[in-house]
Amino acid sequence: MSSDLRASTAATTPSRDPVPVIEAHDLCFAFGLGELRRQVLFDLNFEVKSGEIVLLTGPSGSGKTTLLTLIGGLRRVTEGELTVLGRPLHQATTADLTANRRDIGFIFQQHNLLEFLSARQNVELMFQLHPEVAPETVRQKAVEILTLVGLAERLDYHPSRLSGGQRQRVAIARALVTQPRLVLADEPTAALDSATGRDVVELLQYLARTNGCPILMVTHDNRVLDIADRILNIEDGRLRTVDK
Amino acid sequence: MWDTFLIAWRQLSYQRMKLVVACAGVVVAVMLMLVQLGIREGALENSIAIAAKVQADLVVISPRTKTIFQSTQFPRRLLMRLAGHPAVDYVQEMYMSQARWRNPWEFREHPIAVFGVDPRSPLIDFPGYSRMASELLLPDRLIFDRNNRVTYGPVREHLAAEGYLETEINHRRVRVIGSIPVGISIVSDGNLFLAPANFLRLFPQRNPGAIDLGLIRLKPGADREAVVQDLRPLLGAEARLMTREELVDSESRFVRESAPIDFIFGMGAVVGFFIGFVVVYQILYTEVTNHLPQFATMKAMGFSDRTLLSIVYYQGLLLSVLGYIPGFFLALWLYTVATRAIQMPFSMTWNRGISVFLLTVVMCLLSATIALQKVRRVDPADVF
Repeated sequence: MSSDLRASTAATTPSRDPVPVIEAHDLCFAFGLGELRRQVLFDLNFEVKSGEIVLLTGPSGSGKTTLLTLIGGLRRVTEGELTVLGRPLHQATTADLTANRRDIGFIFQQHNLLEFLSARQNVELMFQLHPEVAPETVRQKAVEILTLVGLAERLDYHPSRLSGGQRQRVAIARALVTQPRLVLADEPTAALDSATGRDVVELLQYLARTNGCPILMVTHDNRVLDIADRILNIEDGRLRTVDK
Repeated sequence: MWDTFLIAWRQLSYQRMKLVVACAGVVVAVMLMLVQLGIREGALENSIAIAAKVQADLVVISPRTKTIFQSTQFPRRLLMRLAGHPAVDYVQEMYMSQARWRNPWEFREHPIAVFGVDPRSPLIDFPGYSRMASELLLPDRLIFDRNNRVTYGPVREHLAAEGYLETEINHRRVRVIGSIPVGISIVSDGNLFLAPANFLRLFPQRNPGAIDLGLIRLKPGADREAVVQDLRPLLGAEARLMTREELVDSESRFVRESAPIDFIFGMGAVVGFFIGFVVVYQILYTEVTNHLPQFATMKAMGFSDRTLLSIVYYQGLLLSVLGYIPGFFLALWLYTVATRAIQMPFSMTWNRGISVFLLTVVMCLLSATIALQKVRRVDPADVF
């Protein structure tokens, strides 16, 4: 994907790439070695295509988050093949993994904002990973997206002065401001009440649709299942696809 | 780079109180280093003050003399031999000894260093000494060092009020006719200056032909090295000819070797360095530990290890600058306090200021290097 596309702020229609954004073949993952080895993911095969919103559900301990960290390049694949954004992560170097992370927008269960930066600074921080963007553009984009998530009045507030929902909205703004090619979200609604959680998910959906950016979201939350194009269900490290 | 610096600064300054405490640690270290090194250098400098004030091109001392404060005499006739050389303008003898000064207010006696040199054209820089030459040539007149310790009595105040002071030195009645600023050291508590004839009156047992220091002024344009080669054979083994610079060198070497100040205060500075190092390390380590989840988040978002490490390094640098500035001014203040208390002048030099700053930076960067091992090891997967 070219930088032109990333730089354009206008909504783009999801381009149906023939190449999937995420492609897993017989993906396995185990923690530990030898006798302590504990396998948590078994022979996963799935794809996520461009523009799709895919939810990952399953009981806790089923390996959802582990899968997310593998796709994010935060852990190394132990067996099988995993290709994300065209990068074969099963044979990636540390630099490849870092580059992969830069193309992905992360939304964490906790907002994980930097407490010493204001909402705007937290969002602007992302552009440090994209030094090609001019400083004026950075400022403008940060303000734009924070306005979009309804925080125009809170630009210079530090996280400690924002409510839980507001923090999560800043986190979403942060994840999406650089127009990543993939968004990974780990239970973004877990720390929120149902109404706020619903708002946050709808916001995520709206932003993803306007940017044509695929989302893979781990969730327990049955109330948000309706936003998904597809639901992947994991149980005991094995995949049971539940198509909508 | 600037962006990374801003992150470092914002993270460091987010909790003001913590920042102040962190800086306080650096301040203490900077102050300790500056004060210890200052006293060390000040004491060394003051100890060679007399030698440094010599203005003669060449000096003659006894080969037995280790320091001019405890000099052995040599025959004046050897010095006079040198006066005949065509390149020599004139020679001058200097007598030095310890006398007993009676504090006229409390009638106690205190040892004091006495310097006898011709006040008409002294080859040593005692500021204001030659201005009182005509009166100094009268019997039993002498001049007091303005920087002498208070144990000798309120001489300066008395001189300001009365113009002169009568007291006894070596049980001989003398008149102090003024005071000049020369400076005392760890070797002597006080100095007196007077004409050679008056010196010999205070020490009647001393042989006028045995002098402590010979001072030689060369004619303008003379080749000093060549003159030294010419003159040395004339002295033989009974006296030693050296340049002014060699005298200063040998004096400072003596102080370094014989007095423990070099070691004591040098060690004080080293201790200061390590205190600072430990304090800064503790602070940065706690800081890094507290911010570990944030570092993990940044790593997960794709920030390279290098960026995160530079954040910690910038914080080390910031701490060193923020701690150095108040530490510097505190040290300046302590210098004036010490000058007043010890009555020896201590001053800040560019050299010391800059080297302590560099030491502070090294100290902070070293602490940062150890503290950031944690950042290097942080697992970005932990944020999920």
